[in-house]
Amino acid sequence: MILPKTRWLFLTIMIFAVARPVLAQDIPVLFPEPLSPRIANYNIDVKLDVGKKTLDGQEVLIWHNKSQDAITELQFHLYLNGFRNSESTFMQESGGRSRRNKLDEKGWGHIEVTSMKLTFGGKLTGAPRYLAPPDAPKVLDNAFDLTGDMQFIQPDNDNAEDKSVFSVPLPRPLQPGEFVAVNMDFNAKLPEPPMARTGAKEDYFFVGQWFPKVGVYTENGWNTHQFHANSEFFADYGVYNVRMTVPENYVLGATGVEVEVAENDDGTATHFYHAEDVHDFAWTTSPEFIEVTGKSQDVDIRVLMQPDHADQGERHLAATQFAVQVFQDWYGDYPFPNLTVVDPRRGAGGSGGMEYPTLVTAGTKYGLPAGIQAVEHVIIHEFGHNYWYHLLASNEFEESWMDEGINTYTDIQTNRARKTTGGDLIDFLGVQVDADQLFRTNVMFGAGRDPIMRRAWEYYSGGSYGVNSYAKPGIVLQTLHNLLGDEVMSKIMRTYVERWRFKHPKSQDFFDVVNEVSGQDMDWFIEQAWYTNATLDYSVTRVTTREVKKPKGFDYTLPVSESDSMMTRDEDEQTNIEVAAASAVPTVDEAAEPDSDDEPQETKLYFSEVRIRRLGQFQFPVEIEAVFDDGEVIREHWDGQELWQKYRYTRPAKLVSATVDPEGQVLLDVNFTNNSATVAQQKLGINKVSERWMFWMQLFLEQPDILHLLQMPRELIK
Amino acid sequence: MILSSIKTGLAQVWKSKRMVLIFFLANLSFALVLMLPFRAAVSNFAGETLMGTKLAGHLPIDFIFELMKNNKSLFSIYGTLFMLVPASYWLLSLFLSGGAFATFARGDGYSSPAFWAGAATYFGRFNRLFLWSLPVFAVLLCLQFLETGFQRLIFGSDPYEYVKYWGGWVKYGLRVISFVLCAMVYDYARIHVVTTGETRMRVSLWHGIRTVFGNLGRTFALAFGLFLCGALVLAIYNPIADSLAAPNAFVVLTLFVLQQAYMLFRMLLRLTLYSSQLFLSNKLAGAPAPLEISTDPQGLEGAAA
Repeated sequence: MILPKTRWLFLTIMIFAVARPVLAQDIPVLFPEPLSPRIANYNIDVKLDVGKKTLDGQEVLIWHNKSQDAITELQFHLYLNGFRNSESTFMQESGGRSRRNKLDEKGWGHIEVTSMKLTFGGKLTGAPRYLAPPDAPKVLDNAFDLTGDMQFIQPDNDNAEDKSVFSVPLPRPLQPGEFVAVNMDFNAKLPEPPMARTGAKEDYFFVGQWFPKVGVYTENGWNTHQFHANSEFFADYGVYNVRMTVPENYVLGATGVEVEVAENDDGTATHFYHAEDVHDFAWTTSPEFIEVTGKSQDVDIRVLMQPDHADQGERHLAATQFAVQVFQDWYGDYPFPNLTVVDPRRGAGGSGGMEYPTLVTAGTKYGLPAGIQAVEHVIIHEFGHNYWYHLLASNEFEESWMDEGINTYTDIQTNRARKTTGGDLIDFLGVQVDADQLFRTNVMFGAGRDPIMRRAWEYYSGGSYGVNSYAKPGIVLQTLHNLLGDEVMSKIMRTYVERWRFKHPKSQDFFDVVNEVSGQDMDWFIEQAWYTNATLDYSVTRVTTREVKKPKGFDYTLPVSESDSMMTRDEDEQTNIEVAAASAVPTVDEAAEPDSDDEPQETKLYFSEVRIRRLGQFQFPVEIEAVFDDGEVIREHWDGQELWQKYRYTRPAKLVSATVDPEGQVLLDVNFTNNSATVAQQKLGINKVSERWMFWMQLFLEQPDILHLLQMPRELIK
Repeated sequence: MILSSIKTGLAQVWKSKRMVLIFFLANLSFALVLMLPFRAAVSNFAGETLMGTKLAGHLPIDFIFELMKNNKSLFSIYGTLFMLVPASYWLLSLFLSGGAFATFARGDGYSSPAFWAGAATYFGRFNRLFLWSLPVFAVLLCLQFLETGFQRLIFGSDPYEYVKYWGGWVKYGLRVISFVLCAMVYDYARIHVVTTGETRMRVSLWHGIRTVFGNLGRTFALAFGLFLCGALVLAIYNPIADSLAAPNAFVVLTLFVLQQAYMLFRMLLRLTLYSSQLFLSNKLAGAPAPLEISTDPQGLEGAAA
């Protein structure tokens, strides 16, 4: 019997020997020291039939068991089967629509594995770098044929019609430290038009989630999930060597770096791409791409533009350059040498706004005004994913906020850094909108149905998934940022990235970094913000001020007492009333300063009261500012725990207004308007906004006039 | 002919200043109806907050959404108001236009009995005329689909975005032209009703169509000439209005005055258009203008006879 170690050695030698001609191609070594565990390594040959929109592929997966378990099966994703028919989990959940895209009548997509063979490796002390698919069958000639053993499974529900995940039992348990080589032949049809980030439209192809992809083996066993309408992905890192054959006049972009392009006799060309320490691989091709290139710091940037949008190429490039620079400056090194930005074809919006390792898709429109920074926002957002989705690679099925939410927070930061004048997202025809305003509005309208912490497909609705995965965590993190300060939050984010690069952090890992770096126990905040749907709303509900009259009636003073008789506190108030400014309450004698030799003039005193209420369930410490008509401003701090709080002042000035959270730091507060109250009615602004509204209505009523047709939109937005 | 029409039209309006005021007040009062629920909601929501002061400056986007979120009843109120008020206003405008055309047809300036009699006399006929006009309007409004057809014919079902983009502007332009043509046909048809006392609205409609399309250059140039006047005033109004953004009472008041002055001008322009079109129509028909007005329900023809 051959010992496992010896057997591994034998296989490795065989692999290298057989693969020799391919190795000679000088595959670049991007990282001599692997950045990641490189558990799932793929070698794929795929040919695109541009007419039929099909893929014909061979794949060799080299998968390492780095767990402590003896593994008895493998599980794979076949994401394209989400588009197979109307009964798939994806189609059932999405109602056949995704991001306003709908498949054509005959646009179904699918993938089928036609052959599967497997060979065991041995104890792992190294890993084969490359195994070309054409040679793999030779290596695997004596492999186990598992084609008939594959079985569809539905880990998340009982939809037996879903065929997006399958498992295959291993001929024998795969021991810790061992690896297997799995050779699969597959063919696939891309959905038309692109939907949920992948598919084809005419001669444009965006090929994502396209190959049989092994699941992640965790301490709890296999972590695979069906393709859901509201979820992205989770995968192990590895090395990818992918050869894509497309018509030779097609321009191609893909994850990783291009090693070579070989022209074939049949009018096609094979593009060979190599990527290390990535957890997914996507590619795009079209004869119409116009290439714009540039560099930002140490990263080569390639933008593939549609002819419609060629004039926006520089705009795309500038946004990408900015993104690379600020992310490297703020969150550490982007270790990859390049980045490709893809502009999706018209009618292929379903492939827009998506991230893959070293390749992202944007999305714009012809004539998009410079003041509407939508495309810049998308590019920066998608590049941000190359940190949170790519470098850290959390489980987006189960903790989607860790990618999308953190990325939304960094959107706010990057948008602020880009802001020159006006709104950082929209500054057009007088309308100014900042990114954080947009996200806060989303939270205001739609965050209440779920807590952030939910598995992606278990949210109340697609809208709730969106708000609780993107906007709410973004606003929560910005609120945390404002609470802890720039320096601490910056350190938290940097520490988090440095500590968890390539390690698939979970929520608790992030929370641990927050607590550790801030030096505070922030669990009170984390518990409410992430694990509940509590709303945060503090309001100044009442402000009053009145002149203090001389007490009337009889007083009763004990003979030994010398206290003054001014009453600053109602006797019947409840126990949690705090007379916060007690020390600042002057007595009549202190307040009255004689300004002449005449009889001292008595200063008028005013009794003022501010009432603050916590209208939501979320408890948060807040600052309160009371402003008096002599210009004095008194600041209070309230821990925000009780349902309400009162502050009372007896001062020689009238109270003018009171504001809770005067700097607007608590972005989670769903109502900023009720954060302040004034003693006097504020008519000026009401009059102004009313007269504007009335003018709009006057124009609206006169709509048949051509000038009003033109003027009305301007009046509405200026 | 165009300039003389405008000149005469303007002179007629100048003699009927009170009529401008009537149109203006009608617009203002209906706008007030549409404004009051909004004002009440804003006042209730922000009247005793610092936002109440901030609103005097730039309108914060946060506030707009918070107002919407916390005043959902506004949507149902305005859902109803936006159905009823514009329809009522349109009817009132139609009513008043009868008085305006009658006044201009008489040519001796505003007279209260003549104005209101004209308004009352022609209101029913103008409504019937409108119903007769609907098929014509539908045809004219289909003009915009010429662009869709040509685009598909030339560029197929998958044109480049710039084709769609510029095509969209062309379509918008055609839509505006369609609206203008509809309004012109309706105006000249009403003029025909007032000047001839015609009771068969299909006849007046046909007259309106013939007048507009038989003299398209002149009728359109007249409307366009007044449009240019309006555009010029708008070009002056906009920067002034934009500069009045400071949060103080004088500025807010000044802005209000400016807005209303602008609306007053718009009414003046509308009545000038009516008057000029009437003059042009008469010129084209070879009739002397202005004609004597009659409060006889049979219209001016009877009076002239």
